[in-house]
Amino acid sequence: MRSILGFTNRLVGFPATLCLALACAATVLPAPSAHAQEIQITGPLAGQPAVRGMRMYRVDRLQLIVPALGFTLQDEFSRSLMTGLEANYHFTDYLGIGVYGAAANFGNSIRIDSDLTTQIIANGQTTGTNRLSMPDEANFGDQIARLQGLASLHLLFAPLRGKLSLFQGAFVDTDFYVMAGVALAFVEERAQNFTEAADGTRVATGVCDAANNQACLDSQTARESRIAIAPMLGVGLNLYFNSYLGLALQWRAFPFAMNPAGFDDGGGTAESSVPVPDGMLDDRDHRFYFHHMVNVGLIINLPPESQVSE
Amino acid sequence: MKKINTHGTPLLEIESNALGMQKSPPIAAGKVRGLAVERSRMEKAWNVLITGCLFGMLAAAVSTGTAFAQNSDMDFTSSSDEGADAPAAGDDSGGGSDMDFTGGGDSGGGGGGGDLMDDLIGGSTSDATTDTAAEEVSEEISEEIFAVQQIYALRINRVELVPSVAFTLNDPFTSHTALSIGVNYWWTNVLAIGANFLWYEGLESESDLNFSVRRGSRLSVPISEYQLGAHLNFTYVPLYGKFAMFNEFIFQWDAYLLGGVGLMNTRPRAVIDPEVRNFDYDLRVAFNVGVGIRVFVSRWLAIFGEIRNYMYLERLEALDVALGAARQDTATWLQDEVAFTNNVSIHLGATIFLPFDFEYQLPR
Repeated sequence: MRSILGFTNRLVGFPATLCLALACAATVLPAPSAHAQEIQITGPLAGQPAVRGMRMYRVDRLQLIVPALGFTLQDEFSRSLMTGLEANYHFTDYLGIGVYGAAANFGNSIRIDSDLTTQIIANGQTTGTNRLSMPDEANFGDQIARLQGLASLHLLFAPLRGKLSLFQGAFVDTDFYVMAGVALAFVEERAQNFTEAADGTRVATGVCDAANNQACLDSQTARESRIAIAPMLGVGLNLYFNSYLGLALQWRAFPFAMNPAGFDDGGGTAESSVPVPDGMLDDRDHRFYFHHMVNVGLIINLPPESQVSE
Repeated sequence: MKKINTHGTPLLEIESNALGMQKSPPIAAGKVRGLAVERSRMEKAWNVLITGCLFGMLAAAVSTGTAFAQNSDMDFTSSSDEGADAPAAGDDSGGGSDMDFTGGGDSGGGGGGGDLMDDLIGGSTSDATTDTAAEEVSEEISEEIFAVQQIYALRINRVELVPSVAFTLNDPFTSHTALSIGVNYWWTNVLAIGANFLWYEGLESESDLNFSVRRGSRLSVPISEYQLGAHLNFTYVPLYGKFAMFNEFIFQWDAYLLGGVGLMNTRPRAVIDPEVRNFDYDLRVAFNVGVGIRVFVSRWLAIFGEIRNYMYLERLEALDVALGAARQDTATWLQDEVAFTNNVSIHLGATIFLPFDFEYQLPR
């Protein structure tokens, strides 16, 4: 042993000898096996919540969304720009209750008619068969239904909470929620023109024909308002810039029946599934209408400080 | 459950002490030796040192079969039970194991006479350290927690299959429902090139509004119907995020932009003069832009929703009907001007990434 080591020392020196010895020893050592997955599973993180120190933006706070700007979608004759506000209070970070209210087109001081309405005004025709439905094509814009406002009482459920990164540079806290409740839709439509007898039969008030065209014209511009009760369902994505400011992106639907065009579309005796006019403007001319809209709003959370989870 | 130290630091400390790297054999002070005699003694010392290195490493190899660096086989206490509790502090009996690093007597660590092996290995001076280290091994918890986690589902160099159903959002007269299949190749983690194919024929339907407008206003709205569409697209992912559900489940999602060009096979539907007019499908160049969101269910499966606007120039049915023989002339059936058409559709479907799994080249 001594002679071998002595020869080695003389040849390459001690450091090399030591390295050689270590290298020889290393070949004897078996490669340790990795049990990283076991470590992580059985380690102190097992059973722990996914997120620690999470800022809870909702619990025990009043969340104001003001202004809440919305726009109705898939309108056939007239679109509505909704301006309003929303107030939500959350009992937990998942559950809350809220109210929403908005006015359409700034109290209907403006009109946002669709291209179809414009085309009907320009190219529509009045004949003996559609005189009640459209007495005058030039005034068609005065007979279509318009949304005046919307109010809702709803519950919110926010199961998803997370973050997003924008261009891998900006990071924003987010949460996703659903809401459901009841909505009151304030609708202004073409006025109905019937009287109902005691036995339930309905009779049109006035006759609308070529000889009584003025009566038809008067019925075209007569308006009446009503409140339609509708279910409200929606989803939303909140982006939180800090503990008290954020941005809300929402979609909400509130389907209900109405007569969007003011036509005499139904109520008559139908020989097929196609509805037949009955010479009256009443609720039988209503058809199911899936109203829905998108909203954008600025979130203000009160109090400004949010709680932080363990 | 055993507390596991993944770094093995105490083990390394023990080894360093065992090798006695901090100590060297002393030379009696005050004595002057001849050069030859000194070299001989130095050679002897180095030989012993090297032998000790080999012996120590061999001892480590025998005992360290896995990465469980704690008091399983290397028992520095009187108890040789595997998985035994941490040895009591100060217990330096060291009995029962072949590698007895506690030595005899010396508690100060070190210096001078006595058994050279003990001196080199670190004898009694490492007793407290050994015991303490053993205690630390059994109690120390060092989990590998990384500040930046690896992305759960990579897209780079993977192929994405995208079956979906498309519904028209902005056409109140005709619903252009379609079945769609797409394929994308991600050459980076945020950029992809791909194609998608849509089939419309047989799935479209005319709405009640069209009939109601025709009857109420005597106005027919010209409409068109689609047969198929084929598009090439680029996709870019600017947003990537995570959601935690009930602070228990985490899933990944991303939002993307896409755009491209393709072809659509469309034709007008005869509503002005359906008794005479009959149109054939024709190809039209279409551009599309869209935005979508993808939620990963697993590393290879995700669900997605996207809104895409297919834009093209459509030839619509002529609003006027020629009289007489000209009514049969196909040249009078179409409008002179083309109509810029936006078919805003929402796609809902699933996305499948191939291969199903992937591996990172680097551990972190």
